[in-house]
Amino acid sequence: MRIKVCHLYPDLFNLYGDQGNLLIFCRRAQWRGIQVEVDMVSFGETICLTGYDFVFLGGGAESNLSLMSKELQEKGRFIVEAVEQGTVLLAIGLGFQVLGRFIKTQDGAVLPGAGVFDLYIETGMDRLVGDILLETAVDLQEEMKKTSVVRETPLATLVGFENHAGRTFLGKEARPLGRVLKGQGNNRDDLSEGARYKNAFGSYLHGPLLAKNPHLADILLSRAILRQGGGKLTPLNDELEIYAHNVIKNRLVGGYNN
Amino acid sequence: MLRSQGQTTVRFWIALLTGKSAALLCRLFRHSGTSLPGVVALKVYPQLLSVLAADYERIVAVTGTNGKTTTANLLAHLLRSSGSSTVNNHEGANMISGVVTALIKDWTMLGERRSQIAVLEVDEGSVGKVFPSVKPDLLVVTNYFRDQLDRYSDLDHNINLLRRILDELPQTLLLLNADDPLVVTAGCDHSVASYYGVASEQKDQTGDCEIREGSLCPDCGAFLAYNYYNYGQLGAYYCPNCTFRRPVPDFLASEIQDDDYLEFILHVCQRKGRNENCSTADTVRLRAQMRGFYNVYNILAAAAAATTLGVSQQTIASSLMEYAPAAGRMEKFIYKGRPCTLNLIKNPTGLNEVLKTLLRGKGEKALVIAINDLAGDGRDVSWLWDAGFEMLDNPSIKMIVCSGRRAGDVGVRLKYAGVPPNKIIIEPECKPSIEGLGEQDAGEYHILASYTSVFNYSKLLRKMGKAVE
Repeated sequence: MRIKVCHLYPDLFNLYGDQGNLLIFCRRAQWRGIQVEVDMVSFGETICLTGYDFVFLGGGAESNLSLMSKELQEKGRFIVEAVEQGTVLLAIGLGFQVLGRFIKTQDGAVLPGAGVFDLYIETGMDRLVGDILLETAVDLQEEMKKTSVVRETPLATLVGFENHAGRTFLGKEARPLGRVLKGQGNNRDDLSEGARYKNAFGSYLHGPLLAKNPHLADILLSRAILRQGGGKLTPLNDELEIYAHNVIKNRLVGGYNN
Repeated sequence: MLRSQGQTTVRFWIALLTGKSAALLCRLFRHSGTSLPGVVALKVYPQLLSVLAADYERIVAVTGTNGKTTTANLLAHLLRSSGSSTVNNHEGANMISGVVTALIKDWTMLGERRSQIAVLEVDEGSVGKVFPSVKPDLLVVTNYFRDQLDRYSDLDHNINLLRRILDELPQTLLLLNADDPLVVTAGCDHSVASYYGVASEQKDQTGDCEIREGSLCPDCGAFLAYNYYNYGQLGAYYCPNCTFRRPVPDFLASEIQDDDYLEFILHVCQRKGRNENCSTADTVRLRAQMRGFYNVYNILAAAAAATTLGVSQQTIASSLMEYAPAAGRMEKFIYKGRPCTLNLIKNPTGLNEVLKTLLRGKGEKALVIAINDLAGDGRDVSWLWDAGFEMLDNPSIKMIVCSGRRAGDVGVRLKYAGVPPNKIIIEPECKPSIEGLGEQDAGEYHILASYTSVFNYSKLLRKMGKAVE
């Protein structure tokens, strides 16, 4: 089995170690004997994304926001087209924000987004920063149980680190990644975090997201190989990942996080 | 001696005496006391720093992401060797409270300073609080790398902050790292600047593992092109679209050798115009008991600053050899009969340089990598994924003990970097991690620790092994 992966804008969206998500995705495929071919598409290059099984867009510096918005006015339709045709996509932080309908900045300007997700962003005065714990959306939990052949006690939570000034408000078409148990989430008020539409996932979680959430990595991977006629994933030894997940989870649930 | 009068004088005295008493109490209770006296004294008299600073003959400040402590300590050492009494916040407490603490300790109970010159290392995020008060005569800016992003959000924020502050300090002479486009951007509006840089010679060993900041031209937004990279985004860059390019260095390091000693030739350029080449250059060979290419920049910055302050090249060359690095900057120990090096790690670029340096050692190695996520470390440890841990997938690495509050994150990172799982041990606590290291039959030990754990390791290694002076 062979899948095609695209790292979108690695030159502009490369903050907070988010490209680790791509490494984790690729390794988890390779450890199962699935071959991965990775292409990088840089700022200003022509893109056609429908041929890719997985597309990754990372976090970036907020100073690049208007530059990115301009680029996506031209190129956003390629991302929308690929997602409509079932390409799996993961977007983090600023990469997540620019895929919404629009972003209202601090000075009142409205920057258009790519429109992959039915959501909009308002940039707040302060940043929402800290460790975060989510209860994974129920349908995703069900899917996780089916993804691997064996996993005795599948994790029902997601952990990460959030750091964003943008507040995300989901529309009807977008479903959250999970419900906030500890931390702030999309907008501090409605307990939602992230967004999903078809096989596209967006989130504010750094860490990077997939490092301590191998179960989410496997959902992305199994959906990606499904496009190539793949079946169930063989289980991996995730002891280290689960240990790291539980350290943060227990710390947050226990309420001590000096 | 203090010159101001009246009401403020009373508050000054109370603040100074309170601060000095706090420092004494810290010593009695064996608290490190690098910030607390300053915190207390500033509560009493918020303007204390400007009053203390105004009394010094010269104030030199060092800021930037990496190399602040080494550069500032080295500069203070060079100044002392030249006969100028110098105070500095040598333990790396570099927020306003740490700066004030260092100065309080330099003042006597009679209200007199002991030193002529103050060399102050200042955190990139604290320049707004410190610089307007101390009004540095000379400011060294080392580099801007990704560091503790959760504290200050983006790099751009720090760079803009420094730019704004410098607008208010027209008298400050800048000494800037010419090889870092971000540093040059921060200082570009300033009229009095000189530059230091390193000539091309370093082979880039990690390739794709490298992090490069600021790849966009600050003037026109085009991607910068490079003739060569030294490390990170440091190198000889130019904008293909406009006139922005690396300034010609006034202080240039060339012919670098990094074996048992770090050695290079320093060229001090005399030139006619800003973008002219050197018309003549004085050269001197410098040699220091340090290793690692990144230390060339630190030595170069300190030597350039010392030269600017009038220290002779002979003094610089001879006193460099006597310099011993500070805690956690390649601190050396003997533990279980084996050499053990302790290094502070705090961001991907610094970590990459430490890894490259330790891998050049020929023997088999066992490591502790200890990462905490307290305020002093940076709460977000995602930066571990920007560092080139892939280098550790190497047969000379026998075992890696992952430690600290984020031992699990380190373990996961190593696993995906290709380190075999049977070489990864998780031991969150400090002392057991050192004991775990001692069980490994390797030629050399290396401990890489984040800020809040490096002092613990230093203290414990002194007890469990012994320090090499």
